[in-house]
Amino acid sequence: MRLLVVEDDADLNRQLTTALQEAGYAVDTALDGEEGHFLGDTEPYDAVVLDIGLPKMDGLSVLESWRREGRSMPVLILTARDRWSDKVAGIDAGADDYVAKPFHMEEVLARVRALVRRAAGHASNELTCGPVRLDLRAGRVTLDGHPVKLTSHEYRLLSYLLHHQGKVISRTELTEHLYEQDFDRDSNTVEVFVGRLRKKIGPDMIETIRGLGYRLGAERDG
Amino acid sequence: MTDSTGAAPGDAPRGKPARQPSLATRLVAVAAIWSALTLIAAAFVLVELYRTAGERAFDAQLDVYVKSLLSDLVAEGETAAAPTTLEAPRMLGEPRFSLPLSGWYWTIRDAGTDAVTFASPSLVGDPLVLPAPDGEGTQSGFTPGPTGDEVRFMQTVIEVGGEPRIIAVAIATEDFRAEVAGFARQVAITLFVIGLGLVGAVFLQVRVGLRPLGRLRESLSRVRLGEAERIDQDLPLEIAPLAIELNALITSNREIVERARTHVGNLAHGLKTPLSVIANEARAHPGPFADKVGEQAGIMQTQIQHHLDRARMAAQRRVIGVSCVVDPVMERLVRAMSKIYRDKVETLEWSGAQALKFRGEQQDLEEMAGNLLDNACKWSAGTVRVSARALTDEGGRDMAEIRVEDDGPGLSEEECREAVKRGRRLDETVPGTGLGLAIVADLAALYGGRLDLGRSELGGLEARLRIPAL
Repeated sequence: MRLLVVEDDADLNRQLTTALQEAGYAVDTALDGEEGHFLGDTEPYDAVVLDIGLPKMDGLSVLESWRREGRSMPVLILTARDRWSDKVAGIDAGADDYVAKPFHMEEVLARVRALVRRAAGHASNELTCGPVRLDLRAGRVTLDGHPVKLTSHEYRLLSYLLHHQGKVISRTELTEHLYEQDFDRDSNTVEVFVGRLRKKIGPDMIETIRGLGYRLGAERDG
Repeated sequence: MTDSTGAAPGDAPRGKPARQPSLATRLVAVAAIWSALTLIAAAFVLVELYRTAGERAFDAQLDVYVKSLLSDLVAEGETAAAPTTLEAPRMLGEPRFSLPLSGWYWTIRDAGTDAVTFASPSLVGDPLVLPAPDGEGTQSGFTPGPTGDEVRFMQTVIEVGGEPRIIAVAIATEDFRAEVAGFARQVAITLFVIGLGLVGAVFLQVRVGLRPLGRLRESLSRVRLGEAERIDQDLPLEIAPLAIELNALITSNREIVERARTHVGNLAHGLKTPLSVIANEARAHPGPFADKVGEQAGIMQTQIQHHLDRARMAAQRRVIGVSCVVDPVMERLVRAMSKIYRDKVETLEWSGAQALKFRGEQQDLEEMAGNLLDNACKWSAGTVRVSARALTDEGGRDMAEIRVEDDGPGLSEEECREAVKRGRRLDETVPGTGLGLAIVADLAALYGGRLDLGRSELGGLEARLRIPAL
């Protein structure tokens, strides 16, 4: 799962980024509206945390522009303007949810989790596929009830596959959703992580579809 | 002009100030004083003219009698220059010269000795004392007669039979004076009536002429009550600029409020981001120091929120002449809520009231309805029902009622009472400032409305918000 955080306050941006990374997301950051708009327009994010008051281009314009161009990723707006007129204006501009400043980080994490899950069509905070169970709130993975230790990249990979289980996902798509923007992308590394994940949750869970990509939970589909 | 509605509410505590006389009173009073003075002067002139004309007529009559006396004095067929005999004049065709002390007298005296040659029988021997004539010619004037009553006399010195003689006729002025007094009375009555008519005309003129001022006042009062956005500028030339200026004032008032709100918003943004940073940093590094920082950041946040709310409330009260249609505002909110709570709320029913207008700021309606809806969605088990309708309250005012119901756990009567008090937080587990319902109640009270909480037929809370409508 890859997120974008657009927040002009450097400290708050860092705090958000750290907290989201700790929760298992790949996070890109932007410090102004123009940069944020460009990133959101060119990279495939699973969700965006967007401040409303931004330099160069304000948050609502950024959001409206994305929606006009057909970018439909879920967007959580952060706003200090906590009047309902401001919140409703944000929702009308295309936001999916809002958090009013000052906020507790847990609230942002919960809202982001809900947005990502909802966008993938899941109602529960627990994603399961056969013996594999992922608790999104706690960020814990179990196999047949036993905890499995995963690195952050492995967790992101499993989480993305679980969110989109049953679908064939190309290596490019995985790369785009697992790594932060400045990460040195080598599609081989995806294969490395898939290999390691197979060792931890069982070799049959992730199916390789030659020339197309990977699929999780295929056997239960057929 | 009586004025019961025009006084600003702020005037009330000062009691009854010494009021300037009204324009109508001033205009009518000035007109009344001026016409009274003019008419009194006119009356004096008229009476004086009448009296002068009367005296002239009097003198003409006296002159006729003097000439008659002279012709009687000189016997027929002789000339005045050389009369053979002097005859006592006859009665001059006027019987009153014979009646004793009738007020009609004549005498003929010797100019040298002042001895009476002949006198009318009416004098019955009394002298008719007249001032000595100054040389030749005719002289007339007023003098007391033999009974002491005033008479008008005319005397002329003429040579009859080689000797200068004074022929004098005098008639009592009593009748003449009575006639002048009667005329003066009639003039006074007539002019008084004319005066009344003039004042009445001025009064009408003022009434009709000042009517546009009344219209201006009504227009202004409609703006103040929020029934109109601007003052009607279709007014006479003299006061149209006043309406234009007032409209400019209303516009600038709105702008000031808008600016104040923008400043408040900027302040909020400026403070809340650093507060977020401080609070999050404190939570990320547990310890006594961090706890203290976190606690103080929380207090700061509450303080900021409290004062921002108060600033908004204060700004709100000075806004005049605003209103907004309820339905579109509610529809936007319902749309936003169903998006925010799409996981939680399965049915969000909404029934509107078409053209119903709220007499106040759209932002405040959004704030009140938004908090109620947010609260309902937060607590509901899946169903929220929202409706708006027009009604008339006990005082006969037009009100809008916005009803928000949910199927959540609801509140007990005690909790309902507590919830609308300031700053209560009923359940710490559901995020929110805990001020939601209290803010709604405060805002509604500012507008002269109210918030009632009770149990809904859906099972949860029912909030009924009543606010003034158009």
